Amino acid sequence: MKVVGITTQQEVFVGSRTRNFRINEFIIIEDPQQKELMGEVVEAHTFNRYIPLNIGGDFIDNSVLESLKSLGYNIDEETIYIGKVRLLNEALYPVLTGSDIRLPKFHEVKDLMIKATKEEGLVLGTIRNTDDMAVEMDQEFQNLLYTYEDEGLCQQREIPFILDLKSMHQYPHIGVFGGSGSGKSFGLRVLLEELMQHNIPTIVLDPHFEMDFSETASYFEDKTLDFTDRFKCLQVGYHVGVKFQDLSAQDLKNLLDAASNITDAMNNAVDVLFKNRDSFQSFYNRLRMLIEAQEEGSLDKIENRIREADNEEERKAWIERRELYLSYDKTCPYSSVRGIMWRLKRLDNEGIFSKDIREIEEGLQSGKLIVVQGNTRILQVFSTYLLNNLYHKRRDYKDSLYKNTVTDYFPPFIVVTDEAHNFAPKGYNSPSKSILKEISQEGRKYGVFLILATQRPTLLDETITAQLNTKFIFRTVRASDIQTIKEETDLTVEETRRLPYLRTGDVFISSASMGRTIFARIRAAITSSPHTENPFDELKNKEKEDEEKFMNIIKDKLPIMETDLIQLISEIEKEFNITFTKDTLEDRLKILSQKGLISREETIFGYRYIMSNDE
Amino acid sequence: MEKLDNKHLALYEAKGGIVGVDGSTNRVGGAYPHFVEVFQGLAKSTLINEDPIYMADIHSPLFSDIPKNILEEDAKKEKERETKNRLLSDIEVKVALEAAKKYKPYGIIMDGSLIRYYIYSYDLWMELRNECEERGIILLGVIKDIKTTIIGEILGEVYPEFKINAYDRELLFGILDYGEVIVIEDEVNSKKESGYSSVFMRSSLSPTVIGMDIIDSQKPYLEEMSRLVFTLTPENSRGVPLWLDLVDKEVQISDAIMKNLLERYLDRDIYERFFVSERARRTL
Repeated sequence: MKVVGITTQQEVFVGSRTRNFRINEFIIIEDPQQKELMGEVVEAHTFNRYIPLNIGGDFIDNSVLESLKSLGYNIDEETIYIGKVRLLNEALYPVLTGSDIRLPKFHEVKDLMIKATKEEGLVLGTIRNTDDMAVEMDQEFQNLLYTYEDEGLCQQREIPFILDLKSMHQYPHIGVFGGSGSGKSFGLRVLLEELMQHNIPTIVLDPHFEMDFSETASYFEDKTLDFTDRFKCLQVGYHVGVKFQDLSAQDLKNLLDAASNITDAMNNAVDVLFKNRDSFQSFYNRLRMLIEAQEEGSLDKIENRIREADNEEERKAWIERRELYLSYDKTCPYSSVRGIMWRLKRLDNEGIFSKDIREIEEGLQSGKLIVVQGNTRILQVFSTYLLNNLYHKRRDYKDSLYKNTVTDYFPPFIVVTDEAHNFAPKGYNSPSKSILKEISQEGRKYGVFLILATQRPTLLDETITAQLNTKFIFRTVRASDIQTIKEETDLTVEETRRLPYLRTGDVFISSASMGRTIFARIRAAITSSPHTENPFDELKNKEKEDEEKFMNIIKDKLPIMETDLIQLISEIEKEFNITFTKDTLEDRLKILSQKGLISREETIFGYRYIMSNDE
Repeated sequence: MEKLDNKHLALYEAKGGIVGVDGSTNRVGGAYPHFVEVFQGLAKSTLINEDPIYMADIHSPLFSDIPKNILEEDAKKEKERETKNRLLSDIEVKVALEAAKKYKPYGIIMDGSLIRYYIYSYDLWMELRNECEERGIILLGVIKDIKTTIIGEILGEVYPEFKINAYDRELLFGILDYGEVIVIEDEVNSKKESGYSSVFMRSSLSPTVIGMDIIDSQKPYLEEMSRLVFTLTPENSRGVPLWLDLVDKEVQISDAIMKNLLERYLDRDIYERFFVSERARRTL
């Protein structure tokens, strides 16, 4: 292996007659005039001068090559391997052509590859094409993980990729990009598993209800690690909600908007009607009374009501309504108030106002991973409220340390979300965007970090993208997203060209703390997502299940005469509490007989269903 | 004609493989006598990949072995061509001879007609011929561009009224089927007296025909060798056995190599004075 061709201080070509080069492989160039130079293969080619690419010219067919092989000549031996190598550090002079090349030993690349030990960092996967160097790897880096390859679960063969957790303080925030099916959600899952192992307080916004860690993946035979005590799934409206008293007018408007889009007039009406420290009841009552007053139609009619009140209580109530009418009717049109009212009711019915976020806070305090689940709209709004709340708690605590005042301890934490472009979209405002932006810009100082995953980095707010210091880039096919990635990361042109062809689970990790891009494979996740069943399998299974159930019901009733169906229906209803109509029962019997589970025969009285012969 | 199967070829391998021989020449400089010609011959065995046999020679009219006045113009062009042909065929026969001794192959395939060697390098050729006959090495010449007029002449004799006056290559173009062979009776072969037997064959899908010469004592092997050539020729090629193409490619002396050689080994003054033509300095 030698350096060939024209060289520069940054890039050289290397050639070999025997060894094929691999992309992302490290090699050492022994330049006699400079010290040893380390480089990474960025392009690999092979070439055989006897099998030219000559369109329209002679084309060598296989039979001739076979014949030559029989004569003792193997044309493959003429293949030469060429790699383009980029030096990690610029050399002082262009590399001397003809310099020898060798593969590095593990200790020579250790500092480049491994920035943290298993205890200090997140073991996320392996660095691809490092198996040659991994042979002499220190014990502590061996057998840390499994990867999932085409042939199934594999022992670790390569150098592990360990994300240095502490460097997050200097280089905060992580972005996870990749199209659907690229392994992005898997990558996120592995990341979260690692965070749980380190007991890092984490909030996961999970619009897909997929971040459940209680099931061990099917390919692990024994339960290696149990996460059940380290995470908690909480659903918005069911386990957690908003404390109405803590809401600001803006929060409330966001919430109402999430229930259903609100108009400018309603927006205005909320500003006028909502008082700080309102409880849900007080706000609700105010709205209700205003509506009743407005429904009367005019001040005169309300006055009438006051005069004609049956008792003191009713009179008082109507006086109150008159006050409200006088102060708000001009500014708050009836239709807007009605609109606010039904949205408020809807939120209340979803249970949002009946709960609070105490459970989340407690979870974080004890270093757990809290998964907040809900549909995207609700989650957007709830997260706004939640993150504002938690971020400021943490901030107040940190600030109080400087100011020497006493505030309750609140731990640093990490915020994780999939489909981040929904929470911080580019180009328009979304309720959660401002808080995410704030965290992205100054969260580092308070120990609050973001992990944002999205399949459309182009749609993610640019200020936030710019703050993501570590990026995991999985397979990406859309040209516009590749363009964004090109602009936002230090991926080279060659690497971005490979993006559409990456295998699922292979990822480029561009990290400011590493100083270069690493090509890695995410390790096999220990737990599995609840959504892994193929929907088509599900249909099949469901059908089978139904069939079996039905079979059990009618088994004892066989043989069934066509004329007895009505009676059979009532029997089934009595015994199993399931009601069939005559048509559906007949249909299902027919289907069973078509499938050969029972047989159908003709008698003089009509059809009769009996047990299949072979049973 | 059938292609040989791999078992048959394996037999050849066991018996020493096949050697391909080719020569190449290139020249640098301008018109006579200001040029240098380099000749290179290569014999490459299918069996032994390392260390093929290379030989080279160099010639310039300025430094001729025969003392003569280079300013004398008479017949120099004709002389030069002859010298060139002689040197090239010499070197090819030399490498073939060396290969016969060193590799002891089953057969040697030479690039071009064997008659060239008979004409230009008689002594060396006879040595090679004897060597091969002694050792039982089959000697075959493959002619890419046939230049004979055998068929035309015979047709002319049979049908004098047509006044046929054509080369074989013109007459045979597109006439033969893929794999079809014409064996030329020795009585009509003009190469007979030089000691050769010949065939024509369409060895690829291309309509042109190639020729093959074998020394007359080995005539019984002609069919077998034709099949070998046929087997080694890619269906969609120009009709040349791939092995000869490979040898040809390796023996080739490129202009760049020539230039580098001269610049490196010649005194710059001599190089510029004698061998750089005005044409070579043109940049536009």
